[in-house]
Amino acid sequence: MPMAPLRSFPTGVFVLLASAVAGLVLALYAYFTPLTGVTGTPGALAVIVACAVLAVLALTQRVAVKHTARATLRVAIVLLLLAICFAALLLHRWWICVAMGVGLAGVVVDMIRPASTGNGARA
Amino acid sequence: MNAFPAGLAAVALVLLAGPSPLRAQRPATPAGAASATPAQTAGNVPLVPAQATWDSFHGQLNAQKYSPLTQITAANVQHLQKVWEFHTGDVSDGSGKVPATVWSATPIFANDTIYIGTPFYRLIALDPTTGKPKWSFDTHTPLKATTQPVLKNRGVAYWAAANPVPGAPCQKIVYMGTMDARLFALDADTGRKCAGFADDGVLDVNRWNNTPKKWPLSLLQPPTVVGDHLILGWAGKDWAYEHAPAGTVWSINARTGQREWTFEALTPEMRKHSGTANVWTQMSADPTLGLVYLPVSSPSPNFWGGNRTEDAPYATSTTALDVATGKVVWSRQWVHHDVWDYDVDSAPTLVDITVDGKPIPALIQATKMGFLFVVNRKTGEDVWPIEERPVPGGDGSVKGEHLSPTQPFPTLPRPLLDQSRKPEVWPLADAVGAGQCSRLWNKLAYRGMYTPPTTRGEGTLAFPDSAGAVQWGGVAFDPVSQTAVVNTSRLVQYVKLYDREAYEKADKGSGNESGFAPQIGAPYGMRLEVARNWLGMPCWKPPFGELVALDMHTGLVKWRRPVGASQQYGFFMPERWGSPTIGGPAITAGGVIFIGASMDAKVRAYALATGKELWSDQAQAPAVANPAVYEYKGREYVAFVAGGNTILKDQVGDQIVVYALPEN
Repeated sequence: MPMAPLRSFPTGVFVLLASAVAGLVLALYAYFTPLTGVTGTPGALAVIVACAVLAVLALTQRVAVKHTARATLRVAIVLLLLAICFAALLLHRWWICVAMGVGLAGVVVDMIRPASTGNGARA
Repeated sequence: MNAFPAGLAAVALVLLAGPSPLRAQRPATPAGAASATPAQTAGNVPLVPAQATWDSFHGQLNAQKYSPLTQITAANVQHLQKVWEFHTGDVSDGSGKVPATVWSATPIFANDTIYIGTPFYRLIALDPTTGKPKWSFDTHTPLKATTQPVLKNRGVAYWAAANPVPGAPCQKIVYMGTMDARLFALDADTGRKCAGFADDGVLDVNRWNNTPKKWPLSLLQPPTVVGDHLILGWAGKDWAYEHAPAGTVWSINARTGQREWTFEALTPEMRKHSGTANVWTQMSADPTLGLVYLPVSSPSPNFWGGNRTEDAPYATSTTALDVATGKVVWSRQWVHHDVWDYDVDSAPTLVDITVDGKPIPALIQATKMGFLFVVNRKTGEDVWPIEERPVPGGDGSVKGEHLSPTQPFPTLPRPLLDQSRKPEVWPLADAVGAGQCSRLWNKLAYRGMYTPPTTRGEGTLAFPDSAGAVQWGGVAFDPVSQTAVVNTSRLVQYVKLYDREAYEKADKGSGNESGFAPQIGAPYGMRLEVARNWLGMPCWKPPFGELVALDMHTGLVKWRRPVGASQQYGFFMPERWGSPTIGGPAITAGGVIFIGASMDAKVRAYALATGKELWSDQAQAPAVANPAVYEYKGREYVAFVAGGNTILKDQVGDQIVVYALPEN
């Protein structure tokens, strides 16, 4: 996949990345802190992994050049956001779901104001 | 032989046996009624203690789990705060060398102290306001799962001398049993062994193991303390043998450890080839009547009865004994010829109720079947009619079985579960399992309640079976409004018998109360499973557990609601689906029900009047014991033990957590 220079983050990608990191931190807290109700559970672990994957996809989106690749990534990201939110609801981790909502807004922003992929300029 | 004609034949036999198939059962009384009259020596002791009392497994001897305290009410319970928690450190998830722990101990409050036993068989005394340890005592019991697949403890018992000798030790004693059947007696003030009790403070009851001696006993349930008597049952190894130690209950002198009397649940003849029918759970007592009430379990082996064709009237019964002599005053058998492991698993709740304007000294016996049997606790006679009804016969596949053609059915209260028809498959679980549940359903025999085990197909569907609609938490009771409250589980299990050759090929081991069990000595081994799809989803429709309130003036349901939430892999299911429950409720005069018991490891408060959930908090593991409610220095506290039970979920804990309202 052609790579773009990592000079800056477009707003949408930044928001998405921030939401993935926020979800990751919240899921790590839920997994490791006693008495969260999901301490040490496979479900919380799955959300940790999913948030990490989401962060990687967000970064990949930043450097993806081809339109089809970006579109495919966006679909995967949206599906992952929804899946994480659903899982977080079942884990009673409402704030993770809120973070995914913010991430979804980031995707929308990125669609409206896409990053300039040829020279890495801010969209 | 085709099964159905056999069932019809059984029904015909019943019809011929009397003028009506719906004959009321009479309490069994022993020969020599004069000797069976209880010694009413304790004077007039109020059934409900005047003072707030929580000094035994079910709070009070009447097993009402009721506190008259009113500081915490339905209006302010949402302000409850955690005031202390204590972790015993005695916990194992079973992943290492130490077996998993199952901790169902109700904390008791006595002598201005919280006492608790642990599944590593340590006894700990805690300050009731701070949770700081006052003393602890280690029994140094080997952490081996001998009679049980896990390390279990259901707490401690407390006794105080009526006329204490000033300055003398052991005028207040705390007792705790161990997996290796030793009963320890410790001074409640110091935690030192009471030298005057048995052998330097330790009574090894395996010395009284009657038949056969090579199979050990365990003391997992604390004794029931009635005056100066410790009434003590035991636990053995379930499902393992045809021939096992036969059920005994002992009265032991609280001061000396001397055995005073022994109750034998099985006849000498039956003891030669069967066993158990023991009392492994808590008992209740009415000191004014001089009676102790025994919930007696089923005989061995649990799922085949060809070896026990004799009458065994005390098996799977509630039996009232004269506490002074151990003689049977009355007994009611709730399952005839039990081949479902329907142990009577909770202490009967003693209640004074008014029915049709008439006051009745009654007893409510919850059962695994989901029936609540209500009888007069003086005589054992029905409060509402309990009818003998025809039940399905066998399908002819099981050799040597002699099933009972009828079983007792209460007319009121109505069953907590609808066992009259096969539970419906849950479409969601069936879809996720790609039809797995429907296929299983089609391979399970079910011709109504008490369909016996079979060797055919995947076996017999049981709703419920050994897991029980009601477990040892039993029924709580508000004596003011005469409301009974009980938590239920709605679990579909299925049991199959295997002849010896087939069993050797099929045996793939067992878990805690599930999987394969050999029933050594019997012609059949068995397998018992919960009906689930590949993902672990229940195959039957929710709710999976409920909290039910009953008006005991009428026997009718006041309200019922799903209780708790199920949880799998950390994911909480919707609360409208409820949760299977282990443990039980407590009721306060403030109009609040406290209960843990659910898979999601939350502890909750509900409104007694409406069933509305008022408060909850997250605990370390499912709180599978009854809560304790106590008052100390003018403040009301609610204590939960969050220990978990691997039958419910693979989540264990070592937490005691205590709540109260803010001081200001």
